[in-house]
Amino acid sequence: MIAEIQPLEDLESACRRHSWSLNAQELAAVRRHFKALRRAPTRAELESIAQTWSEHCKHKTFTGPIRFSDGKKTERIANLFDRTIAKATRELARPWCLSSFKDNAGVVAFGKKKGRWAVAFKVETHNHPCAIEPYGGAETGVGGVVRDVLGVGLGAKPVLNTDVFCFAAPDFDGPLPEGALHPKRTLRSVVAGVRDYGNRLGIPTAAGGLCFDPGYRLNPLVFVGTVGLLPTWALKKEVKAGDLIVAAGGRTGRDGLHGATFSSAGLSADSPASAVQIGHPLNEKKLLDALLAARDKRLYRAVTDCGAGGFSSAVGEMAEGRGARVRLENAKLKASDLKPWEIWLSESQERMVLAVPPKNLKALSEVFAAEDCELSVLGEFTSTGRLVVTHEGQAVVDLDLKFLHHGLPRVEKTAVWTAPKPQAVKVEQVKRSPAEILKFCLSHLNVCSREWIIRQYDHEVQAGTVIKPLQGVRHDGPGDACVIWPHAATGEMKDFSAFAVSHGLNPAYGRLDPYRMALACVDEALRNLICVGADVEHAVLLDNFCWASPDDPRQLGALVRAAQGCHDAAKGFGTPFISGKDSLYNQSKDANGKDAAIPGTLLISALAPVADARRALTMDIKGPGNALYLVGCTGEELGGSLLAQACDLPGGCAPKVDPKTAASAFKAVAAAIAKGLVLSAHDLSEGGLAVAAAEMSFSGEFGAAIDLDMVAKAGPIYSNEVLLFCESQSRLLLEVKPEKEAALLKALKGVVVKRVGVTMANPILKVIGLDGLVCLEEPLCALKAAWQGTLPRLLS
Amino acid sequence: MKAPKILILRAAGTNCDLETENALRAVGAAPERVHVGQFRSGRRRLMDFDALVIPGGFSYGDDIAAGRVLANQVRLYLKDLRQFVRLGRPVLGICNGFQVLVKAGILPASNTCEQTASFTVNDSGRFESRWVNLRINSQSSCIFFKGLPEMIELPVAHGEGKLVLKSPRQLEEMKKNKTIVLQYVSDDGKISGYPDNPNGSVFNIAGLCNAEGNVLGLMPHPERFTAIHHHPNWTRQTFLKSGVGLEMFRNAVQHCRS
Amino acid sequence: MSVKTAAWTIEVKLKADLADAEGQSALSLLQGLGVLTTRACRATRLYELRCGLNAAQLQQVARELLCDPITQDFRVVPGGARPPVLNGMTHWRVEVWPKGSVADPAGETVRSAIAEMGLPQPERVRVGTAYLISGRCGRGQLEKAVVRGLANPVVHDAAVTESHP
Repeated sequence: MIAEIQPLEDLESACRRHSWSLNAQELAAVRRHFKALRRAPTRAELESIAQTWSEHCKHKTFTGPIRFSDGKKTERIANLFDRTIAKATRELARPWCLSSFKDNAGVVAFGKKKGRWAVAFKVETHNHPCAIEPYGGAETGVGGVVRDVLGVGLGAKPVLNTDVFCFAAPDFDGPLPEGALHPKRTLRSVVAGVRDYGNRLGIPTAAGGLCFDPGYRLNPLVFVGTVGLLPTWALKKEVKAGDLIVAAGGRTGRDGLHGATFSSAGLSADSPASAVQIGHPLNEKKLLDALLAARDKRLYRAVTDCGAGGFSSAVGEMAEGRGARVRLENAKLKASDLKPWEIWLSESQERMVLAVPPKNLKALSEVFAAEDCELSVLGEFTSTGRLVVTHEGQAVVDLDLKFLHHGLPRVEKTAVWTAPKPQAVKVEQVKRSPAEILKFCLSHLNVCSREWIIRQYDHEVQAGTVIKPLQGVRHDGPGDACVIWPHAATGEMKDFSAFAVSHGLNPAYGRLDPYRMALACVDEALRNLICVGADVEHAVLLDNFCWASPDDPRQLGALVRAAQGCHDAAKGFGTPFISGKDSLYNQSKDANGKDAAIPGTLLISALAPVADARRALTMDIKGPGNALYLVGCTGEELGGSLLAQACDLPGGCAPKVDPKTAASAFKAVAAAIAKGLVLSAHDLSEGGLAVAAAEMSFSGEFGAAIDLDMVAKAGPIYSNEVLLFCESQSRLLLEVKPEKEAALLKALKGVVVKRVGVTMANPILKVIGLDGLVCLEEPLCALKAAWQGTLPRLLS
Repeated sequence: MKAPKILILRAAGTNCDLETENALRAVGAAPERVHVGQFRSGRRRLMDFDALVIPGGFSYGDDIAAGRVLANQVRLYLKDLRQFVRLGRPVLGICNGFQVLVKAGILPASNTCEQTASFTVNDSGRFESRWVNLRINSQSSCIFFKGLPEMIELPVAHGEGKLVLKSPRQLEEMKKNKTIVLQYVSDDGKISGYPDNPNGSVFNIAGLCNAEGNVLGLMPHPERFTAIHHHPNWTRQTFLKSGVGLEMFRNAVQHCRS
Repeated sequence: MSVKTAAWTIEVKLKADLADAEGQSALSLLQGLGVLTTRACRATRLYELRCGLNAAQLQQVARELLCDPITQDFRVVPGGARPPVLNGMTHWRVEVWPKGSVADPAGETVRSAIAEMGLPQPERVRVGTAYLISGRCGRGQLEKAVVRGLANPVVHDAAVTESHP
């Protein structure tokens, strides 16, 4: 077979024909490179370059130059990522962050035994595939992020999966363009995909969230994350010349060609269907078992997953700074008629590439054979600085690795940010009663019970889910975060070291101010961690940006603002980012042919150690006669809130976060919890104080009485509704035993904290308004029914 | 005293083996996780072990039907399992392991090797992961439940857990010989429907044993309740006894020693 | 040695007296998509084998591997998947198969499990589903609902056939 040659004159049309997402400057760079070589490139070479240079792999927007103007001044940002998120991490220089932004996932130290264990965390998106084939898209999304964690260092054992979804409401009844799936179907299928894949791998899916917004109707967002545990000796990977290139796991087929280039462009009706695959969880499980067994025998020197770009990316990445020689005829194939470039670029799932010292090959083969897992020797790493790929002796690729990895021309993008004019919300227009608004909030899709979803996930496999996603007397209240005690991975049942994972996401704030959204998301994620008793001082963050086209200066401007928010949040809270990912071009043509973009979305995932799982906390009220303390100040911040939605109040500002004040409050609360002064804690987010109090009460099946006059106010507030439902950040509600109140107040010295109510045996939620009269009195069962009814009604 | 050697049988897709191993080690056993392929090749022998645990998971992806492929392998490669049972050595099938024991014709025990019961998809049509209340049949001779209270709690997590029997007469027989050892009940101990019975099992059956009491299969996961901190309400301090699951494993180890 | 291979379909369905959760959820999905006249739906698993097995071996595969003796019945149909003949105008059969280009993990498991039984390994096994639907409805309406609920043309081949002579 002769390798396909691509004449240089015709690059543009070939680029269109093969749906490579290369722009004019990049094509020119390719042409220059091959002109200097005096030869035409092969199809496989161009495919490799297109993959490696795609937005998906290179993150051109985040790492490329941007000219940013906010109306007052214009500045040139050489590398957005490096000037914001990475800068904060660099400056914070936390010693427990073992690896940030380098490997497949961020890694931090874990556990009491210093230096023995480390924990790796990665969150990925799989948006484009899920829009077209939600079941397979979700499955392969989970599979991909699990392999990311398997490919950290020499491999981490996955101990937790997370899932966060953004969809349009399942009862959406507007027009959809040809080929677009209904949001209800997308939701059901994505849940089924995460369930079937995660459950089969034996990884608990115990943390997550749901967010509904009409802006996601054509571009659903599916975030999947994995936390893995690895011994610290396995952190270092190193490829040596002479090591064998070994492909392990599933076979290579024609499926999944062009995934990376596909997800680097907007969705359209003719998006290549071959980019979508169905997962094979059994193959991944075999790969997982075999790989970790081989790791513990120290049989290989480096490993990475085959993600976007398949072998081309995996081998290209590992060979960087060295060189590689690949013989494609050695790959195990699903079908014998694959062309060489197809083998090289195929994104068939459940594959990984290892660098194996030749003397270990026999032992490695035995370990993999014992798990019924296939492997094949593709070639060897060299020291030539070249990537040489052949098929039956025919040259397929012969590229300079320097050009492949560093030849990408940087194109400056323009970003514009215009701050929206602050617009006061007319509070006097609130026409509904507090009880009505509370039920609206509780049954709102973004607040309601996710039990319908969570019960379908095996969230207790590995027997380490000490704080479960559903909490309370009847195991059905909304937990703030989960706590995982990973003894199945460490084998140490006497050591109760654990970790907690939570999320923060709120596109409604982002519509008003992406900068404040970023701060609010970090605040929410950290708040959630505190509520389960985690050590937030040692917390770390992950960012996932999902945005529309960065070629639109206003979209890019908002993205820059959000990234700056991440920087300021990280610095302000003293909490570094260790990993992140962006997914851009989340937009498509709607039924009228107009471009519909998603709202700029930032998911913050946070992980913090829990020194002793036996001292963790849940959010349900534990008994009658206890005091309820509200930490933090309440201001009139209604922009993007559920109250604004419930009463149709437009405008307003997104809630503001003062990270310095918040951080010291969080630190004090965490210390109080560690001392055992708090019975339960819950964070105030969507729906504010009223929703938090209701959730704590009905989960614990004890009533609560709250006096709004006692709430600490950041200025004059004369409305009960504002105090009940506004979404000021950095606030927590704590339940405290009467005999511990004095100690708590001492521990929280300097923190704004007010005793706002008491718990009681009578199962009602009662609120005394500013005028001293009862403004809300509802039985807990009615509130719980409102909160629980939504998803089953819409989905069953 | 020597720690009993306990085989944890693995296959592709088994995924509760590590926590089961931890639980067994905690009660003084010497557990070993062995892939079924080792028995296929004849490298290992069942008879070298004092007890057998088939843990939970999705053996072979639960393709075709839950536990079907592994059950066929057990018939093929663990031919001496019936002898193992006759010798009174403990055999425990958890979740997927229970499905395997049933499909391999080990439970409900019969004179032939025929499969006499089976599992089908939960009535809800969905995978269900939740804690359930269970009632132990105090008249059964099952060795695993010795000394445990009549009412216990354990978590279930399965999609195909609805037990189906060959005939109504079989149910009467099982009642008579007291092999229905575990039933899903409400929190006040009554037989009731969904969600107390998470899958719609006939007669709310959650676990079966043989008449001698050394073979137990159950859908709930004892290895997920080995510390009080596994209980969903441990933070409410309403549950302060030790984990029920751990006691079950302790009983098995005691039995091996006696 | 070359063995002549032929295509066979083994259909496995739940016994009639057992509740069929999969069929039931398909039914409520179809009804939710506006095909309100459908009355009942039973799901049948289809195994399409391209293999050199003889009739007795196929029976053995069905009996010992693919069909549960307690809960299911099976039949072996020669050729590729072919709809059975039912009476009346109100019976539909919807077949959903994974496209040739996508992975079929269950098919691979079946393939190796057959070899493990000591029988010749099939060249290929695909696993599909047939929904047997009763209720008066238009073919067009049903086809539309199938594409919106039961099958995704990106990864599935779906066929709706009227199951009368």
